[in-house]
This record gives sequence, C-alpha cells and structure tokens, in this order.
Amino acid sequence: MSVAAGHSQGAIPGARFLDPVVLARVGNLELVSRAVVDGFINGMHKAPYFGASVDFAEHRGYVPGDDIRRVDWKLWARTDRYYVKEYEAESNSNFAVLLDISKSMNFGTTGITKLDYARILTACLTNLVHHQRDRVGLVTFDNDVVDFVPSSAKHMDVVLHTLDRVVAGRPSSLKPPFQKMAEHFGRRGMLVIVSDLYEEPDAVLDAIAPLRFRGNDLLVFHVLDKAELEFGFTDASAFEDIESGEQMPVVPDAFRKEYQSLVRAHLDALQQRFSANRIDYTVLDTSKPLDHALYRYLSSRARMMKIR
Amino acid sequence: MAFLAPLFFVGLAALAIPVLIHLTQREKKMVQQFPSLMFVRRIPYQTVRRRKIRDLALLCVRLAALMLIVGAFARPFLWRPDAATAIGPGAREVVVLLDQSYSMAYGDRWDRAKAAARDAINRLGASDRASVVLFSSGADIALRSTAEKDRLIASFDTTTPTPAATRFGPALKVAGSILAESPLPRKEAILISDFQRTGWRGEEGSRLPTGSTLTPVAIGGPVDKPNATVTTASLARSTFSEQERVTLTASVANRTVAPVTGDSLTLEIGGRAIQTEPLTVPPEGSATVTFAPFTLASRNVRVTVRAGADALATDNVFSLVVSPSAPVRIVVVDTGTKTGAGLYLTRALSIGDAPKFEVTNRLPSAVSDEDLRRASVVLLNDVDVNAALGRRLQRFVQDGGGLFVAAGPRASWPAEADLLPASLSQPIDRSRGESARVGALEYGHPVFEVFRAPRSGDFSSARFYAYRSVTAVPNTQVLARFDAGTPALIERKVGSGHVMLWASTLDLSWSDLPLKPVFLPFLHRSMVHLANYTEPSPWLTIGQVFDPDASSAKAQASGRLALTPSGKRLPLEDEGSSAQVLELTEQGFYEIRGQKANSDVTVVASNVDPAESDLTALDPAEVVTAATTGTAQNGQQVASDIPLTPEAQERSQRLWWYLLATGILLLGVDTLFSNWLSRT
Repeated sequence: MSVAAGHSQGAIPGARFLDPVVLARVGNLELVSRAVVDGFINGMHKAPYFGASVDFAEHRGYVPGDDIRRVDWKLWARTDRYYVKEYEAESNSNFAVLLDISKSMNFGTTGITKLDYARILTACLTNLVHHQRDRVGLVTFDNDVVDFVPSSAKHMDVVLHTLDRVVAGRPSSLKPPFQKMAEHFGRRGMLVIVSDLYEEPDAVLDAIAPLRFRGNDLLVFHVLDKAELEFGFTDASAFEDIESGEQMPVVPDAFRKEYQSLVRAHLDALQQRFSANRIDYTVLDTSKPLDHALYRYLSSRARMMKIR
Repeated sequence: MAFLAPLFFVGLAALAIPVLIHLTQREKKMVQQFPSLMFVRRIPYQTVRRRKIRDLALLCVRLAALMLIVGAFARPFLWRPDAATAIGPGAREVVVLLDQSYSMAYGDRWDRAKAAARDAINRLGASDRASVVLFSSGADIALRSTAEKDRLIASFDTTTPTPAATRFGPALKVAGSILAESPLPRKEAILISDFQRTGWRGEEGSRLPTGSTLTPVAIGGPVDKPNATVTTASLARSTFSEQERVTLTASVANRTVAPVTGDSLTLEIGGRAIQTEPLTVPPEGSATVTFAPFTLASRNVRVTVRAGADALATDNVFSLVVSPSAPVRIVVVDTGTKTGAGLYLTRALSIGDAPKFEVTNRLPSAVSDEDLRRASVVLLNDVDVNAALGRRLQRFVQDGGGLFVAAGPRASWPAEADLLPASLSQPIDRSRGESARVGALEYGHPVFEVFRAPRSGDFSSARFYAYRSVTAVPNTQVLARFDAGTPALIERKVGSGHVMLWASTLDLSWSDLPLKPVFLPFLHRSMVHLANYTEPSPWLTIGQVFDPDASSAKAQASGRLALTPSGKRLPLEDEGSSAQVLELTEQGFYEIRGQKANSDVTVVASNVDPAESDLTALDPAEVVTAATTGTAQNGQQVASDIPLTPEAQERSQRLWWYLLATGILLLGVDTLFSNWLSRT
C-alpha cells in the first residue's frame, strides 16, 4: 500500500493521509447524502435561496425590495453607493466519522494495520466531504469515547490532527460509546462508522440503533485484515487475543475451514441486519487498495440513490 | 533384583533428552497475536488436545524404549530367596514350628495344623532335612534335623495341645539355633499357628539367621463358636459361728462373636459338685457368678469352677486352693498399770480381715517361750525390759520374728542385748509452745508406702507433746523424723527379723496420734511388715514357677516330691540336696509332699492363662518381618556364595534380553506412531 507515500515532514499533521490517487478517484463521484438534514440540501445541491450561510459570496447593487439590513454600510461609507452582501447559500450537512481505535484495530499482516487503513479512509472521506463544504467531525472510541471533534466547516485541520495522534490502547465495546454519542448528535447528519466490529451481529446492531433512531444516515465500513478473513496461518501456535491476552492453542490447518465459514456467516449476518435497517455496510480488506474500496462503495451508493 | 552393570544406569540421563527437546519446543512455540479469538473460541479445540495427548503418548513410548535399553545394558538378574528355595539348587534345612498352645484346640484348628505340618514335611526333597519344634509358652524340639519323613510326622501326629499359652519368641529362637547350626545351604522355617495377637510381643531377639526364610501358615478362621472362659475368681471371707466361710465369685468372659447361652457354671469342692448356676455371656462380653458361701473346715481345700463344654474346653476350668486365713499373732507387752494405756492399740489390732491380728497381752515378766514361739510380732508398749527378756527377744528376732518398741516415759532397754536400732535418751517435753509433729516420712518403705499418694493420710496433723530423744546406731534406717530432726521411727534388721523403734507412745499420754486416721493403717502396716506376712495366692498360672522354699512347705523334711495333676511324681531336690523350683506345666492341682506318709501336704492350683482364650489374630507378616528383617541382603550374599549351575546362572540373567527386545520393539512402534501422527 502506498497510501502514505505523499507524506512529507513539516506538512500539516494528518496530511499524509490525503493520498492524491485516492482523492483523484473519488473526486469524480458525488457523495450524496440520503436525506436533507434539517431542511437543507446536502453536498453539491444548491440552496433555493440566499442568506442561511455565513460564507460571503459577493456584493450586488441594492434594488428596492431588498432587506435594508443586508446593506453593507461600510461599503456605502466608502463609495456612497448601496450594495447588498450576498452569501454562499448551499445547505450544510453534518458529517462525522466514528473511528474505532480499540486494540484489535492495531493488527495487520499486509504491511498496514487496520487502524492505519481506517485513518486513511477517514482522512479521505473527511477531505472529500470538506471539499463539498459540509461540516466534518470525528469521534474516536474504544470502550468509551476517546476524542470528540464536533462537526464544523472549520474543523478539517483538527480532524486531521486528531487522526494523526490516535493510539490504539484499550479493548473495544460498541454500545457504551455509541450511547454517549447519540446524546451529542442532536442534529441529524451523516455518520460513518469505521470499525472491525468484533461483536455479535445483534449486539452491533443494538449498539448502533440509538444513532439510527435519531435519523442519522449511517455508513459502516467494516475493516478487516486479510488474515482475519482467510486465516492464512500455517504453524501451530498459541493465538493470543490482542485485547484480552487470552491464549489458545491453535492448529490453523485444522481450524481454517471452520474459521472461514464462521467469519463468512458473521459478515453475512451483519450484511443482512444492516440492510434490514437501511444502513450501508461495506467490508474493507486492508490488503485491497483504499481507493478501490471507496470507489466501489461510492459507486454502489450512487446507484442506490438513483434507484431511490 | 540386582544388576551386573549398574553403571549403565548413567545412561538413564538420556531420558532427559526427549523431555528437554519437548520443553525447548514448547518454549520456542510462536505466540501469534490475533485481534480477537471470538471465532477461534467457537471451534472446539478438542482436536488440539487429542493431538497433545497423542504426543504425550509418543513421548512416553520413547522414554520407555530408552529406559528398557538402558536397563538391558545394566544386566539385571533376579534374586528371590523364596524362589531360590523353591527352584534353586542345594539341600534345605527346614524347621517346622507347630503351635501347641491350648487355643489350637478351638474347633478343628489342631487337626488343620497337623495336616499343614504333614504337608510341609511331604514336600521335602530327597536331600532336605527337617526338624519339628512344638511350641507354646516354651519350645521343645520334637525331632531334630532328619530326612526321615515318617519319624518327623510321627513326632507330632499323636500330640495334643498343651494348656500353655502361645509365645512365638522361644520358638523362633529355637528355630534360629537349629538353622544356624545346619550346614545345608538353604534354610527355611515354617511357622504353623493360629497367630494370636497375645502371643507376639515384638520379640526383637527372635531373628532367624541370615539367609533364612520364614513361611507362615495361618491356621485361623472365624471365631463364631461360643467359648466361655473362666478368667478369675475372688474370695470374700466371713466368720460365722466361729468358723470361716468363703463366698466365691467367678468371672467368665466370652471373646467370641457367638453368645454363650444355656451353659452352666459349677462349683466343685474337693472334687464334688456343690452348686451349679446358669451361665449366659453375651458376645465379646463377660459375666460374674457368685456362689453360696461355704465353710472352710481344713487347709488346702481344692476348689474348682467349671463351665460346660464348648469349642475350647481347656479354659472352662478354674482351680484354686483355699485355706483358712492365718492370723498374724502379736504379743503385746505392757505394764497394764495405766488405765487405757493399751486401749487404742488393742482396738486398732482387733480390726482387720486381711490379715487378722490375734493379740495376746502379757506383762513383761509373763512373756513365756511358748508366747514367743507362736508369735510373729512382739510389741513392747512402753515397758522396762530386763536383760533376760532382752536376750530372749534378741533370739526371737534373729529367728525371724518382729519387734516393735514404743518408747514412752518408762521404756528402757538392757545394754546386754544389742537389738534396738537406737539408744534411748531423756524425754523431750514439747507440751509448752508449739507441739512437735512428724515429717520426713520414708515413703518408699512398706510401712509408709500406702501414704505416698496425695490425700492418703497426713501424719503432720498428729501433735506430739513429748517424745524420747534417740540416737540411731549404725546400719539402721530412719523411717520418720520429728520436725526437730530427731528420729521418730527407726528400723533395724537383725538376723532374719526386724526391729522398729517408735520414739513416742501409742496412747494419748504423749500424742494424739491414736485419734488420727493414719494411726490404724500405720499400726497394721507395721505389724504386717514385721511379721513378714504375704497373702498366699490361691492359684498360679501355667508357666509360672513355684518355689517350695518360699511356701509353707519349707518346714518339711528333705526329699520332697511334687505330684502333678496328671499323676507324675517329680522329685523337688536333686542329688546335691539343693532345692529345685517347680515349673507349672499342667492344669489342675499340684501336691508337694515329703517322703513320709504323714508329712504335711502343700497344694498348688495351676490354671491356664486366660489371655490365650482371646483368639484375635495378628498379621503373620508382622512376625515374618520381625524375624527376617535385615537378613534379606545377607541372604543374597549367602545365595551368591552358592555355586550355581551355568543353566541357572543364564536363567537368572537373561532378563536383559527381554528388556532389549522390548526396547527395540518400542522404538519401532515409536516410528510408526510418529509417522502416523505427522500424517494426521
């Protein structure tokens, strides 16, 4: 994986995650939000009126009927002409990535850990969304909320900085942090969950449900290492759970088929439950290029939006 | 088992190699970190465990193979003393020890014991020799070291159990001496017994010679047939119409698990049944039967208590000899002038049954030679003794009589007769101030022994207002002292008799001792001691020794004979006229009489040891271990000294071949096993 190749010393913290290849691929696609949040049109859709935004666009001459409150009096003082200030009027959507930084994410057999992969993914998505002038935010969690960057149009740097310094340390548990987050995401928006989801499908859905019930649009990226999917180990050894430290003697050759079938059943169960709850779910293999994964997801997302 | 080349056991260190490899592999085993064992945990890892168990088996197979190969190189060979006895070369010296105690008469034990002895003798080889030892409390060699089987069997075939008790120690010692003297290379003792617990006291000296073996043959079996044992009898004497009457109470025990019911207990006097009482004894229990009193008309009355027939008849009979109690005759010499002077003394000596005291009061001038001849003790109660009486008393004491002198204010002793243990001085008045008390008693002396225990009599409670100062002569023993240190009671042995000097009075004139509880036992013990009185035992136990010189038979003339219960006549004096003791070996009444027809007869009752009727058995291995401990190693040495045939040598050493073959076979199994494991 060459996702970090563009990183250079002295750059903005987190900037190394802005892989230009990835951005080039996903930049041609529309990240379409499923619903208008709080009556605004998300992303690239223009608002039907001015005024709701704080981003200054241009001045125009006063015409009768304009609200005199929007007259730029400072400009009048300099030019003795009446101008009215106009702003960018796109509707803004809240976008936040919920990034799992539990200990199990710090695993990788293909040269990149799941956490690094997830950070790149988060940075890419955030960058993409930021370029669409949506508010970006970030929440990192393990068995509790670790970092919370509220969604804001100015928080791109903060998000990148936070991503740069996350460290996987504690075991994961989805429900407690998600319950706490649901209380903070009062305004509907788009939430992207990036995790390895090592819990029972019902438990995962049960944990995510509070977020879904608040009307948020949920996207779930299930990040897994290739070894977790295929169990390609060869030597009999003691397998140690990274989070609990528990060890078990394992003969991979004897275990592989059963393991693969169990993982497949787990993924299928998650897919089935997320689909039933209208939650987008994608399994990302860290051995596959990130841009490819994003492209596939966003393509399917776009198709789904057209169908709707 | 021993080894010809034990140094090869150093090779056992090679056993550590597979183990170390195993451990090393364990240490190097990779620990693979994994995000979650969520799915791995769901897969049953029975497969892994089974694989580990199979590996463990493989390890065991390898270790076993290595051990067997090392063991084979160590060249083991078998050495078993009993095996050598059974199959090895050389003639045997066999000692058959046959228990002849009376417990062998229980049920069919004796027949089975003889059958076992016959079987042991019939198994003798042509070059073997055997001895037969019949033992009970002692051991007799019935036939010594012969190869004639018929004579060996005949030596015990017609015998019956004796009334003696079981003792394994003497039998083992006899067997040990026979085996030690034997020149034959292999020595064996066969102990045929019912192995009663009471017969084994852990005799440490009863060890067989080195290299000997002891084979126990237990003739036991269930103790389910009732057996009543008359264990003892007690006599209660009373006087009725100036005749002494005796009430006999017999104790009967039943040490079996079957109750004794419907039986009877008969009292026989002089061979005639007098009274029969029903007898019922619970299992593992005991009962007492009291018979009606009977009058003692003469000395040496033969009394027998007999229970009905049961599984063991020997212990059903209990014999005893009852004679009228002989009183201790005392001559009390006092002046008789002082009223009540001898009151307390007379009253104290009139009490008592064991023994009775027959008191004769005399004035100093009235003591006759007949009085001294009949008396056992003379008590001088504060009298002035003249020289003539002093000399007569001196002879009396030298002949074995006892003299008690109470030294009051009038007491004096002639200097011509050197008899008293102390010289008398002036009285010491302690009526003013604090009275004197007696302390520092010699509790080891028979007189004061009964006061030894706490709260058994307090002499210090008696107050003495005056006493005679005495000065002890050499070779005397001060038995009590006053608190001032002067002797209160002194004893001296003169000839065969004893003299005791009491430095105060025996009435209330100088002390209140007669009012104290200790007065009566003190006086009784003193008289019994001075009279050298011993309670005659109504019976003895088989195995004990009767000394005629210590009994009343001593007065008889020489040439005494003992008539045993079976009618044998045993002379009690050998040719040198030195007296012999009589060892009791039969059950019943022994008579000791002189050669003359009118000579006095002494009767001794002899009973079986009631402990022998307790048929509780011990583990024969206990006897075997004690008798052969420490001989095994030496036995090996002895065996190694025996020249073995080449075939025997090869036979005893070829174990290595099997070990090596098995080890190689295991290595082949190991190969197949490990290949199979690797495929799976």
